Amino acid sequence: MADDRGQYSPGLIRMWRVFRTTREMMKDRGYALLDEDTQITLAEFADKYARDDGEADRSRLHFSCMPTEDMARKYTPLPTAKDPDPQPEIGKIWIEFNADENVGLKQLRDYMAHLVNGEYYSGIMVCIKPMTGMALRLLRGASGIAEGPKGGVEVFVEQDLLVNITKHELVPKHVLLSREEKDQLLKRYRLKETQLPRIQVTDPVAKYYGLRRGQVVKIIRRSETAGRYASYRWAI
Amino acid sequence: MPPKSILKKTAVAANAPPAAKPVNQRHLDVALHHANIIEQRKSVERLVLDTIMDLMDFPVSPDADPKRPSAADARRFREAVVPFQPADYDSLIEERNIADKCGYALCPRPKRKAPSSARKHFIDSSRGVQIVDKKVLEVWCSDDCARRALYVKVQLNEEPAWLRQGEHGDKIEIMVENAEEHHKALPLRLKKETAPPPRTNTEEDDVAAAWAARDDALADLAAERGEKPGNLSKANNELIQEEIKERVASAPPMPPSLPEQTSGSHMAIEGHVPKQDKKEHADAEEDDDQDWDKHLPG
Ligand SMILES: [Zn+2]
Repeated sequence: MADDRGQYSPGLIRMWRVFRTTREMMKDRGYALLDEDTQITLAEFADKYARDDGEADRSRLHFSCMPTEDMARKYTPLPTAKDPDPQPEIGKIWIEFNADENVGLKQLRDYMAHLVNGEYYSGIMVCIKPMTGMALRLLRGASGIAEGPKGGVEVFVEQDLLVNITKHELVPKHVLLSREEKDQLLKRYRLKETQLPRIQVTDPVAKYYGLRRGQVVKIIRRSETAGRYASYRWAI
Repeated sequence: MPPKSILKKTAVAANAPPAAKPVNQRHLDVALHHANIIEQRKSVERLVLDTIMDLMDFPVSPDADPKRPSAADARRFREAVVPFQPADYDSLIEERNIADKCGYALCPRPKRKAPSSARKHFIDSSRGVQIVDKKVLEVWCSDDCARRALYVKVQLNEEPAWLRQGEHGDKIEIMVENAEEHHKALPLRLKKETAPPPRTNTEEDDVAAAWAARDDALADLAAERGEKPGNLSKANNELIQEEIKERVASAPPMPPSLPEQTSGSHMAIEGHVPKQDKKEHADAEEDDDQDWDKHLPG
């Protein structure tokens, strides 16, 4: 395989890695993707997405996906008297690979408008370089902004997706708990959620899974003495 | 047996709610004061962001002339940048540039394009040929806009708006060539000051002027105290101790005197006299003195 790579530009190989990690990330979050979606080979990638100059055409890498039933269940709030049939707080997502060298308010707002017009629940923007400070400021406050999609916008820099950090042997498995499972956990151990150890939503693994504030993840480690060892963390 | 916790004990302890303690009113006040500052900071940051988004598409008219802006555009721009720090102004320029516009907010033209995509360029200037970064070259449409834009930047307050006390320096001036059009609407500092229009002095005017002066004075006073209409007062009275304690002299003042010159001063190493074995040292010196005496003839 190493021999094959000589014929591809470093930029194309790089983009292939970023694309694969992004697809894996969406699958790991619970979106409906087939195994072959995440296992595209470099040759297939080059065949489908390379431009004449040998670089990847980012504008053709965009894709969207839908949550699986299991994911939708995990993101559904518990029914209450007021809302006996709550809707899942997740939906169709649009992933875009921005090709601009500098991304600021202009691109972010165009992207948000696109998500709203396309009735996407949320979006992920993958940029070549970090966005401007003002764009990040808009993003931080975006959940409360009328102009953005319901589920907000996440931003990644290509560099962050070159390797899939969760595939590293030292990163334990993270599993998101549903609202019901979270309630059961707290009841069982007679805890308040504030008493759980925490994980920052900006933590790279939390970012990979798209954790939201208030969610609880089960972290499963392998231990030579105890077999499997689980702990729980509350996302803040 | 109740189920055993799988959680680390320390984590639970660290996050456990603190035991109920009597609340200290002063601590509450301090916390509230800081919470107010954080709130003000958030609202200023939001305001700056909204202003930048607004000024990104400025000026509205495609024929607007940055040398001769309309009175309305000029006023809007000058008022909008008051809460800016210089870094916020840089952000405005950055965002306009990304949108392919000249960095000066009163200019509708696109930014200059470098002759090629090379990172560095040779540019003929008044100071001879200079090597200029492509990024620097592509900020403005012209050197004239650069001058006008930077004239605004140097006037901006370095202090974040949520900490500013008083708004005295917060009048932003712009360089324009149609000052006479702005004169009626806003006070601009001009190179050649035009004389104020002659006024008919009636009693009514005087009364109105007196009231206006009083309102201005009150507004200035509020501004000096860091208060803004609708904003929380920064001068939080509760946090200032009411009682003023004068320091009372406990002894009559003494004139300062030079530190005693000890015999060891010549032993000082860069001004410091090692204190260790001071006594012995003193004795040894006395011995030395005697020894030294012995050698003297007679
Ligand atoms: Zn210009």
